[in-house]
Amino acid sequence: MMVLRERKQFIVFCLMYTFLIFWTSYSIELVIKTPGLGLASTSFFMALSVGIFLSLLYAWLIVRRNSKTIATLKCIGWTNKDINSLISGFILFTTFMGFFIIIEVLFHYAAFFVYVNPSSPTVPLVNLLPVFVTFIIFLTFQILAILLANRKILKVRPIIALKRVGV
Amino acid sequence: MPVDKDTMIEAIDVNKEYRRSGAIIRALADINLTIKSGEFILIQGPTGCGKSTLLNVLSGIDLPDSGKIIFDGENIARAQEARLSKLRRQKIGFVFQDFNLIPTLTAIENVAALLWPTVLREKEIENRAIAALRDVNLLERKDHYPVEMSGGEKQRCGLARAIIHRPRVILADEPTGNLDPESEKQVMDLLKQINKDMETTIIVVTHRGSLASYANKIVKMDKGAIVNIK
Repeated sequence: MMVLRERKQFIVFCLMYTFLIFWTSYSIELVIKTPGLGLASTSFFMALSVGIFLSLLYAWLIVRRNSKTIATLKCIGWTNKDINSLISGFILFTTFMGFFIIIEVLFHYAAFFVYVNPSSPTVPLVNLLPVFVTFIIFLTFQILAILLANRKILKVRPIIALKRVGV
Repeated sequence: MPVDKDTMIEAIDVNKEYRRSGAIIRALADINLTIKSGEFILIQGPTGCGKSTLLNVLSGIDLPDSGKIIFDGENIARAQEARLSKLRRQKIGFVFQDFNLIPTLTAIENVAALLWPTVLREKEIENRAIAALRDVNLLERKDHYPVEMSGGEKQRCGLARAIIHRPRVILADEPTGNLDPESEKQVMDLLKQINKDMETTIIVVTHRGSLASYANKIVKMDKGAIVNIK
């Protein structure tokens, strides 16, 4: 619920993940179809690099933007574990939404493709296998992002919820 | 640990220092203070006298450099963070000067948030949040976001969050610092009411002398030390 209320951040990262997942899946599809194509491999590794960078950036941003909320929650009795669960939920929910959008778009695209080219024997654009391989890769990235977020959460001191720090 | 069973919090020889720009600032100097269950205490003093630091240390938000804080029979001066979190969730309610409501949650959700990580059922949490909002006369605003509420309403929402779990102690750091006189009176009257009806110990840090009539003990501080208790 809380992640959906952070509309701007959620929509921006969800769309970025959607684009990245498509990019990575498409690159994998190209690598499978044309193994010797260097461009496909380069595209795949570029997509992975951007993917891991964005995942870590998202985790860092969530904790940084919500540090006062996290401190307040600590003040009112939430443990680090409770807050970790909340932030992990933020991160995973955004990633899952990206996948649902991609799968939905690919199904619609395939349906449309078959409708306009009923005699075509090939499966259009991206198969489901590369999408699921990408899903596993991105889940691994999110585990790294969650570990980073957990480290950052530990460093948020409850005292920053109070206006005047120190004396 | 405390001899007197009526003692809620006891600070024994508490010291705390900060290092700022190379200089050492003694925020708390040999503090000895006993707070009994059901008391309404005001901690007063000029800016920078250490009153907020004392409040933070009494609640386990900040740890003293030396000395003991006996909270309801348990020394929390060297307790682990997980233990302190549990203590705060069970026994302490916080009221902040700048309300600290979560902007993306409605009033009822802000109040209920304290109980979300507990084993209580959703309906039970909702019922408790409604009861807490009713106690502070804010039920009609339950679905409003903080941005849609006035300063006084936000603070009453903060107060509802502080009492939802029926704490033994409420700690308020300048709870009326951002309020107009009318809202200040409402909030202080509510704190007094809570103190009377629920027998909750209330500790308020303030620099406003006008609030003295609400307290049955006033602790005056200066330069990190307690200079007077009456």
